[in-house]
Amino acid sequence: MPPVPEAVHLRVSHVTKRFGGVLAVDDVSFDVPRGAFATLLGPSGCGKTTTLRMIAGFYDPDAGDIEIGGRRVNDLPAHRRGTAMVFQDYALFPHMTVRDNVAYGLRVAHVGSSDRQRRVDETLSFVGLTGLGDRWPSQLSGGQQQRVAVARALVIEPQVLLLDEPLSNLDAKLREQLRVELRIMQRRLGMTFIYVTHDQAEALSLSDWIAVMNKGKVEQAGAPWEIYYHPRTAFLADFVGAVNLVPATIADLAAETVTVTFGRHQAAVRRPSEVPLAAGQDVRLCVRPESLTIAAPAAGANGVTLQGSIVRRAFLGDTMRYWVKVDDREWIVDQADPGGSAALDGPVSVSVRPDRVHLITA
Amino acid sequence: MRSLRREPVLLLALLAVIALVVLFILYPQLQVVFAPGPSGYADFLAGGTWLRPLRNSVEVTLLSTTTAVALGFVYAYAMVYSHMAWKPFFRIVGILPLLSPPFVVAFSYLLLFGPRGIITYGVFGQSPVIFGLFGIWGVQTIAYFPFAYQLIADVLSRSDARMEQAARNLGAGPWRVFRTVTLPLSRPGLGAAILTTAIYVLEDFGNPQTIGGVFTVLPTQAYSLISGFGDFTGAAAVSTILLLLALGLYVAKIRLDGGRAFVTISGRASSMPRPPVPRTVSAACFVACLALAALLILVYGTLVVSAFTAVFPTNLSFTTRHFEFVATGTNGDALKNTLVFSTVAAGLSAVFALFAGWLVQRGDWPGRGVLDFLLIMPAAIPGIFFGIGYLTAFNQAWLDWVDRGWLIILAMVFWNIPVGYQAAVAGLRQIDRSLDEAATSLGASKLRGFRDVLLPMLGGSLRVGFVTTFVRAVTTLSVVIFLFTPATTVATIRIYQLVNDLNWGGATAFTVADIGMAIVALIVFAVLARGRIALGAARA
Repeated sequence: MPPVPEAVHLRVSHVTKRFGGVLAVDDVSFDVPRGAFATLLGPSGCGKTTTLRMIAGFYDPDAGDIEIGGRRVNDLPAHRRGTAMVFQDYALFPHMTVRDNVAYGLRVAHVGSSDRQRRVDETLSFVGLTGLGDRWPSQLSGGQQQRVAVARALVIEPQVLLLDEPLSNLDAKLREQLRVELRIMQRRLGMTFIYVTHDQAEALSLSDWIAVMNKGKVEQAGAPWEIYYHPRTAFLADFVGAVNLVPATIADLAAETVTVTFGRHQAAVRRPSEVPLAAGQDVRLCVRPESLTIAAPAAGANGVTLQGSIVRRAFLGDTMRYWVKVDDREWIVDQADPGGSAALDGPVSVSVRPDRVHLITA
Repeated sequence: MRSLRREPVLLLALLAVIALVVLFILYPQLQVVFAPGPSGYADFLAGGTWLRPLRNSVEVTLLSTTTAVALGFVYAYAMVYSHMAWKPFFRIVGILPLLSPPFVVAFSYLLLFGPRGIITYGVFGQSPVIFGLFGIWGVQTIAYFPFAYQLIADVLSRSDARMEQAARNLGAGPWRVFRTVTLPLSRPGLGAAILTTAIYVLEDFGNPQTIGGVFTVLPTQAYSLISGFGDFTGAAAVSTILLLLALGLYVAKIRLDGGRAFVTISGRASSMPRPPVPRTVSAACFVACLALAALLILVYGTLVVSAFTAVFPTNLSFTTRHFEFVATGTNGDALKNTLVFSTVAAGLSAVFALFAGWLVQRGDWPGRGVLDFLLIMPAAIPGIFFGIGYLTAFNQAWLDWVDRGWLIILAMVFWNIPVGYQAAVAGLRQIDRSLDEAATSLGASKLRGFRDVLLPMLGGSLRVGFVTTFVRAVTTLSVVIFLFTPATTVATIRIYQLVNDLNWGGATAFTVADIGMAIVALIVFAVLARGRIALGAARA
């Protein structure tokens, strides 16, 4: 086994898990650097929670190794792994006060009572719950319960903090607020977080690193920006936000650019690295709706310009989303700050900068 | 499985539980089943002496179950659906029979309808022959309809009031809703309730023994073969037949209700209101319940009156002489034994069942299904069989150094395991596993998590196991009839002996004292548990 570099805090290598005949996690490998906010993102049933639970020690992998801090933990029982977990339904102990919930891990670890008291108080104030220590979990709001769950896990200073969809039971407004708070906490503590969610916006806004999972496999892992703008597969492009996926054919290859034809159009777009391409190959163009510019029909715009007509539109508040028919295909186009101009209708021209067009071969 | 390897203490605890279950549940049963041996069974079956008791058992079980269920259904329907008056009264009257040994109904029946009965002889001047099939049928109907009522009321109160509201909303009348929505939805539960009642009736020993006369059923034949003829082989064979019948009923019951099967009487009312029923139905329900309650009060009231009168029914002058008799000497010891044995057995049974329930419900080790089966199996074992099993397995000379009281306590503990076990499993099912995992992820071992997190939340299951085991231990006759010694005799045994001695005053006073003691003990437990006790009506 090659030595694990110091920077890698959690290593999952070739991990497989079956439930009966169902392959839940299929040969999954990834490394998470120390102090990273790492997210496993995917639709339900993709194996992300199973992976998290194997890291926690609640499931045993059928094959593969899990290392934390360079130490193989497969044979450590769950309670000796130092992987505190924040649960989707919080799993607060209903028969203990907030203070006793938070103190539980310290009590199990035989931390002396004065030290325990101090750490509980510090953690409660860290998550903004000062003064609520004597409440019962049932007396708290959803957001407060969530903070207790985080405090209870943080207070034992785990090696790695595992979070299983911790925000999914909250309403949209609170979710966004706690998202920001979680990110700030993680930065301040410098702790490694492993976060599981099916919400792509959450994953993109929180993470240093994202692994998108599908059908038990990691489809792509990397920085959020990379995942969003340079997805490797159509599934990824579609799962992480709205997207236009347009069939095209490679007409010509240059060092930096690829010339593609789609419908009656031809365009020279950025050539992706690491992907073997050949002339005549069928590919798909991936264009995010907000990368497109929509305007009244005019000639001579920059980059690729398409002529079409508006089929319908939806006002989303921060954007106006248009469905524009170009030849026989509908494009989704988002117009930012729609308050600035009157809503468009009828024939329009849609344009995009070539470097905003991403090529997908799978 | 790996978690067991990682936590050796847990593995040891599991092995201990398995060892106890094998020793005290499986082993005694196998002793009885295999006692006759192939040739013993062949001779026995060829002898044919078992045919009549078998036929009698089947016949009386069919009859008594039908009538007990019918009356229980009426009572349950009235309690759950009607808007009749006096519901709290009817509820209490319906619970009281559960606290008394079922066979005292036979005893009361003798006083009321016997050759010198207060009604037959006193009112009508007749001395009819009341022993035999019809006597048992009547007595078992009265003794077991309150059990059927509890089981059926539980099923009916579980039926979803929203469905009934929806059906009413779609234009169906009350009767139509009951016929087309409530009944079809609760059919499996009702079937299971009927089969459970049938098991009670089938294994009833005290009533047929008291008033059966020559009409022997399987439990009474097993008893008389041992006590009358010392024919242990024959008794083992007879009770094995009984066991097979009970197991058959029990397996059918599990198939119907999927093993969810204990009833809790905690007096809580359903939160969602049910659609109203017509006034006439409520009125009819009231009349029916009043009649049934009057019957129960007549049966139990007779015992109370007899206990306080010099010679019932000829000399009705008030006396406490019978209670003085009950309080002295062996009798007093028997009462004390009942209290001590039942309390200790209830405590051990509830705790052991809870722990075993946790190991099975939360475990991931292979063979859990087998342990699960062994832990609910005693629910299908007739008390007389269980008693014979303990007699065979543990009444050994080399065990003479052990106080014989422990034999009775252990029999009570393991015969009643299914109640506490199923209450524990049901309680655990309602606690999300993420709570255990939260404790684990914070550094607690599985045992520690059980102690800190689950145990405090399982108080309800623990109380159901404790109270039900206590009540069943106080009221059982069949389990202990082969296990008592003069020093370890208990109240039900003494009552049975006094009835046989025709000491009516003593027997009724003993019965009243036994039931009264059970009620006082339950009140004390309730106070200790801060008012939160619940009684599981059914034996699983």
